[in-house]
Amino acid sequence: MPQLEVGGKAYEVDEDGFLQELDKWSRDFAQGYASIEGIEGVLTEEHWKLIDYIRDYYAQFGIAPMIRKMCKDTGFNLKQIYELFPSGPAKGACKLAGLSKPTGCV
Amino acid sequence: MKKEMKIDEFCRPGEQLAEIDPAEIIPLPPPYDRIEKAPIRKLAEEQRKRMDASLDGVVAIGLTPPASPEEEKAFIEKFLAGLEKLFSADDNWTFLQPLTHTLEYCVKCQICSDACPTYLASGRQDIYRPTMRPEILRRIIHTYVKKDHLLLRKFQGSDIDLNWQTLARLAELAYRCTLCRRCAQVCLLGCDNALVSREIRKVFSQQMGIAPKELHEKGSVQQLRVGSSTGMTPAALKNIMEFVEEEIEEKTGRKIKIPVDKKGADMLLIHNAGEFMAWPENLEAFAILLDAAGVDWTLSTEIAGYDSVNYGVWYDDIQFARVAIRQSMAAKSLGVRKISLGECGHAHKAGIVVADRVLTGDLNIPRESILPLLEEIVLRGRIKLDPSRNNFPVTLHDPCNMVRLMGIVAPQRRILKQICPQFREMEPHGVENYCCGGGSGFAITQSTNFPDWRSAVSGRMKMKQILTAFEDVPGPEVKKYLCAPCSNCKGQFRDMFEYYGVWEKSGILYGGLVELIVNAMTNLKKPFIQWEWH
Repeated sequence: MPQLEVGGKAYEVDEDGFLQELDKWSRDFAQGYASIEGIEGVLTEEHWKLIDYIRDYYAQFGIAPMIRKMCKDTGFNLKQIYELFPSGPAKGACKLAGLSKPTGCV
Repeated sequence: MKKEMKIDEFCRPGEQLAEIDPAEIIPLPPPYDRIEKAPIRKLAEEQRKRMDASLDGVVAIGLTPPASPEEEKAFIEKFLAGLEKLFSADDNWTFLQPLTHTLEYCVKCQICSDACPTYLASGRQDIYRPTMRPEILRRIIHTYVKKDHLLLRKFQGSDIDLNWQTLARLAELAYRCTLCRRCAQVCLLGCDNALVSREIRKVFSQQMGIAPKELHEKGSVQQLRVGSSTGMTPAALKNIMEFVEEEIEEKTGRKIKIPVDKKGADMLLIHNAGEFMAWPENLEAFAILLDAAGVDWTLSTEIAGYDSVNYGVWYDDIQFARVAIRQSMAAKSLGVRKISLGECGHAHKAGIVVADRVLTGDLNIPRESILPLLEEIVLRGRIKLDPSRNNFPVTLHDPCNMVRLMGIVAPQRRILKQICPQFREMEPHGVENYCCGGGSGFAITQSTNFPDWRSAVSGRMKMKQILTAFEDVPGPEVKKYLCAPCSNCKGQFRDMFEYYGVWEKSGILYGGLVELIVNAMTNLKKPFIQWEWH
């Protein structure tokens, strides 16, 4: 299992950098991961709004939210999400939120 | 890198056998003819140590080399034990006959190679020939199972050196075939070399526990545990259905209650769960259409009853049977008359065709494709449609399992000809179609550099076909629609279109069939199809 150093701490991740031990997530992890994902500087309130939304949804339903629902509930459109997270909602935002890689025909 | 390959090289540890060369893969029309980046990302040095990528630098499985000669020996013995089962009627009553036929009758005439989109698109790399996997398997059987005399093997050219490297490459190679079965269609002797790919996968999975995570651990295992390969639980399903109902009301001004777990309904509709997670407009369109046509239908919230996928059809008979039985049990507990499968190709093959070998007695509930019903709704005038609402260029991608495997070719075309004035076929199409490149689990295999390979190689013929179908309107200013009535194919198109920048360069949106039908409904105030990239 590959390891990734984020903010001075080692985390177990999958081949594409998704966190494997979901309980190891912290706000420092997300902030530390930001630069790896090409997000400059400190995460803004808008970044956190999405990350918190994704984490809340995951805590409730055990999966990442459908992108369309995420847009509707947070008020961001897909373009804005890509501006915040250059790798996009699944590969960027969900990764910072500490979720596993989406699976199945999605 | 040289393209001709001798079997000896396949068994020699070390060097990578083939490399996708940007100058040799088939060219695409402009502006896709400029080579801007390496087609396939290279693995990191550290990854290459852990994962064997010596076939073609790409990883679908990525086996870790054995730590000792004993470990290697045990690995080989395990494979051979699996191989014995593959040729025993008790263990492989499902596919023994066509498998044996293929291995014994193939004369390696190579007609199938010219039919294989992966082989052609790769610039005719030897390793991707449809005959390559069967040849390696045949030699292993002659040398290690039948134990032919060495002289006979040398004379027949059926000798092979079986070591860990041979098997690691063979396992990867079994995941370079999309199981589209274009090879089987052109074979004059009725050999099915794609089935051999699938049966090799089966030995690795059933005997050795080796399969891509996306298919097994996160796929069929997860589906049987929580209900869907996406991880979507019944509670999440309900949450999504509420969202879908809200969206329907916003788009149509009508409140539609989607029937869920309705006992005694005529038809249980099973969607690919990808629709719930990624393409809710497909669910919405189905709900609007079936409501308008007065169809007595329901969804299920039982395990596997709301996810039509059955990944076992690609790699494992046991997982296949488990899922097929759960799906049928979901229908039985609701007392529906029949199961209808939504827009998903492999679910058609799995649920309607292959499941016939597994479902017995009252579990053998009638199972059918939704396409003929859609045709009846459109052509018999059960709803009012205005084709001028679909006045944009449309082409149709045929999911391999619907056309080649099952012969469902005409209904979708009669629908499109009725409701899309600018419908045009791509060539070739129907039973001779090319795979989207994401078949047999490739579209869901998202790990490392495999997605690059399926966009650059296995999907390339399809990419070329789509661009050619729209060559009269190439620019992004004319919005075009690629109708792909399959969730798996849509996943491949989403990734491949992003890889090539298709939305920006050509303005091609992909989507399902029902979306086009609903877009033509006269009582909708606004167009149903939203021309936004997703």
